[in-house]
Amino acid sequence: MAHATPITLPPVLPEPATVAPGDGARHLANPLREGLRLERIPEPCTMIICGATGDLTQRKLGPALYNLMLGGFLPPEFTVVGFARRDLSDDDFRDHLRNGIDAYSRNRPAKRSIWESFSGGIHYHRGEFHDPASYEAMAKLLDRIDRDRGTAGNRLFYLAVPPVLYPEIVKQLGAAGLSADGERRVDGKRGWVRVIVEKPFGYDLASARKLNREIRESFGEDQIYRIDHYLGKETVQNLAVFRFGNGLFEPIWNRRYIDSVQITVAETVGVEGRGEFYDQTGALRDIVQNHALQLMSMFAMEPPVEFAASDLRDEKLKVLRAVHPMALADVARNTIRGQYVSGWVEGQKMRSYRDEPEVDPESLTETYVAIKLAIDSWRWAGVPFYLRTGKGMPTRVTEIAVQFRRAPLALFARTGASQIDPNILAIRIQPDEGILLRFGAKVPGQGLQIRSVNMDFRYGSSFAVDSPDAYETLLLDAMIGDPSLFTRDDEVERAWEILDPILRAWHEDQGGPLHFYAAGSWGPPAADDMLERDRRAWRRP
Amino acid sequence: MPQTRSTAAQRELAVHRHLMRFGDSETLATPMWEQRGTTVAVIETQLGRLWGAAESATTDDASRLRETGLPSARTSVLNLIVTVVDSATADRVVHAMMSLGIHHPSRAIVLVADHLATGDALDARISTHCHVVPTSPDERICYEEVVLTVRGEAAEHLSGVVAPILIHDLPTSVWWPGDPPFRSPVFDQLIDVSDRLIVDSSDFGDLLAGMRRLTTLRELLGIGDLAWQRLSGWQERIAQFFDAPRFRRYLPNLNRMVIRYAAPTGHGRKRRRSDTDAVAPDVAAPMAEAILLAGWIASRLDWRRHRTVTPLADGGFRLELEGHYEMVDLRIEPEHTDELVPGELTSVRLRARGETGAAEFIIDRNRDEATVATNSDGMTALLRQITMETPREAELLSAQLGGRHRDPVYDAALHAAVVFLAAARSAEAAGPEPIVAPAAVQELGG
Repeated sequence: MAHATPITLPPVLPEPATVAPGDGARHLANPLREGLRLERIPEPCTMIICGATGDLTQRKLGPALYNLMLGGFLPPEFTVVGFARRDLSDDDFRDHLRNGIDAYSRNRPAKRSIWESFSGGIHYHRGEFHDPASYEAMAKLLDRIDRDRGTAGNRLFYLAVPPVLYPEIVKQLGAAGLSADGERRVDGKRGWVRVIVEKPFGYDLASARKLNREIRESFGEDQIYRIDHYLGKETVQNLAVFRFGNGLFEPIWNRRYIDSVQITVAETVGVEGRGEFYDQTGALRDIVQNHALQLMSMFAMEPPVEFAASDLRDEKLKVLRAVHPMALADVARNTIRGQYVSGWVEGQKMRSYRDEPEVDPESLTETYVAIKLAIDSWRWAGVPFYLRTGKGMPTRVTEIAVQFRRAPLALFARTGASQIDPNILAIRIQPDEGILLRFGAKVPGQGLQIRSVNMDFRYGSSFAVDSPDAYETLLLDAMIGDPSLFTRDDEVERAWEILDPILRAWHEDQGGPLHFYAAGSWGPPAADDMLERDRRAWRRP
Repeated sequence: MPQTRSTAAQRELAVHRHLMRFGDSETLATPMWEQRGTTVAVIETQLGRLWGAAESATTDDASRLRETGLPSARTSVLNLIVTVVDSATADRVVHAMMSLGIHHPSRAIVLVADHLATGDALDARISTHCHVVPTSPDERICYEEVVLTVRGEAAEHLSGVVAPILIHDLPTSVWWPGDPPFRSPVFDQLIDVSDRLIVDSSDFGDLLAGMRRLTTLRELLGIGDLAWQRLSGWQERIAQFFDAPRFRRYLPNLNRMVIRYAAPTGHGRKRRRSDTDAVAPDVAAPMAEAILLAGWIASRLDWRRHRTVTPLADGGFRLELEGHYEMVDLRIEPEHTDELVPGELTSVRLRARGETGAAEFIIDRNRDEATVATNSDGMTALLRQITMETPREAELLSAQLGGRHRDPVYDAALHAAVVFLAAARSAEAAGPEPIVAPAAVQELGG
């Protein structure tokens, strides 16, 4: 051994970082995670799917969990418990999930090795949703899983059941002591407990308030994750990056430069076997209350102080609060409702809405709605927001289109190019996620002819990366405890406050007639008239 | 268009035809253009009218493309320059990119530079490729590929050849397969026009000198290292041990880390990277990955100093480090096997002192599978089989192209790796006795 010189020891090491429960998204508790592809990994936990034998589980949740597992986003301890009425064994339930993955997953079929390690953590618990004994048995099962698999009392409940069952299930979970988390728990365990609630959140303001109240009897607001899968889409998240990550757009994102905004959520399909549900719901509740208003608030919000859940949701809420609910008398002028009759969509004959199974043959439910809204804020005063959604449309598209003000002077009018088309910025959410900018350019040659050209950016052709499904993003966020992309109670209630007068006016027959439109058209002509009054026209996306 | 095509061009076309089959993932988007003894100006013009030509040309390639729908507008993401020593390597680069559908580059320039050769100063071959995006069949990702052979004096002034044909205002990466000539003026010229250098440190002829050079180059531009990218699966698995709070508390108490890497047995068939389509088939510095992994853990956990170095048999070594609360015994050892490409890790074992005993965290790799195990203080032992496949080179490249420009985690790991290597070198020179490492290399972190 050579002569050893004394070495000064480094200063006292900092204490390992601690993580506050529910705030895992922004703290790296594991120093080895820094800079890794997966900086956010949920703690070991159990996800309990209530309504595990349904369509949602097979089409969306199973594939999403499998893809998360495949990507290495879930810890090896992760466990799934399916809870439903049907009499299934663990193996039956595993088969049910696997069939869903083989049929619907973006990576399919299931890889054997991944499936084998995943399926070992899948269990089934048979029980009635209204029977306290099934929750007691479930509590025992979950305790056993905590012990055997090291899931440390962390639990995520997913309510994949019809909304009428929400109050009953949350009440039972509360009564069985399954909803308490952290220090609130009597058994001394400190794990987190969260619950994911699917839309619809109520069918009007009163029912939404009631539902929120009922869920909060068992769960704290910070435990409740209201899922709107639109917010999990990459483009919606990119909307914030587009606005706040570029210096170019934010300065013109206001009434001085923007003439109007159109938000379109168009579906080609009809009710697809959901006739009974849809006939009681309609387009306004099904799409506008959640997706369309969420898109609008993401688009129109002020920059948040920090890109964190509470700031983000505060800003979104401010947008909704600046939308003044219509007076009953204004509903007829600012809304158009429609219902499709038979027509041709994508080369296929489509029958009338009233001929769909489980639909009332004299139904007055709207399958199309167009609304003009105003956001009374300094930024948006005077800029109309036109929202429309419909079934049986010519193409399936979700987009936000911004129409900018025209050039102030028709400089080229003398030379034959009369009015120049306004610039359009279209943000496509689906399909073909991307951004399109339309501007005028000179047609080459003698003379001065101006034609609009499109500059088109597509995600798919720029980043050949397979985007995660919205459910993957959202499930992972919920496990990590990041509620940014989930809807808060006050947002839900405010959205209903905006729509309630419309529902009431329609119900009381003061809101203008129900128009009919042929499937495969862009809705009733009355919707075009509504924009024509403002000297504008709908885009044909 | 020239009447006859060079052998290389014909080979490339053959690859296309093989991969292409109508509707498959690979399509040659425009007719291949080739010219010997050309000029940069001609190449620029040709690139300028590339996509226009695709729409107006009447060849089979183009008409087929019109049927399948060419993008009328393209979004560009980055330029990639690949420098290779000979046309055979250029073919391998082209093949690797085509067969895997390289994801990121919008324009790839493959440079074959030979300053000793005579003949035409500049030959060029341009082709365009569009891949269908598997998840959305209507989308196509297109890139242009320019293969340039530069001879004689021009080969000593490559930046003048390359700069005009890059797509302006896009980030440019230069990928240098094999052992880059760090000291040559041509290397510096290309660094000047690039924002990011991509190398594979396991191909360095002199690992210590190469890694040292990288630590200074990172002041100038971003560095991507395929050897580092190969570790990502290991890093995820190792980090995963400590995600659960009950195991995380062992992290500060780690006191032993053994990293083994594959080394050829000397008998039996040696695995070459060409088994997996790599551009540089042989591995010059098999210790690179192991030492980077050690550097990664040491820098993440703030192991600041080491005391003694002991050389082990076969070029391995043993270092004593100061961890949080414990001295850490670090061993890096070759494991002779022909199952894996030399340099790939075969096992990582971590050990920590616990309240009632020791905890061990083990990943043992065996071909495409690995056993992951945890034993601790009488708690549940977790034992799992996982798949652990060697990623293909184009995947590594793709990940490094898409990675962040500056990676402080890599920088810190590299720095620590240099310190370890320097210590190991000095130990080798001194003989088998443990020595106290010279003070200058003791500081880690950075």
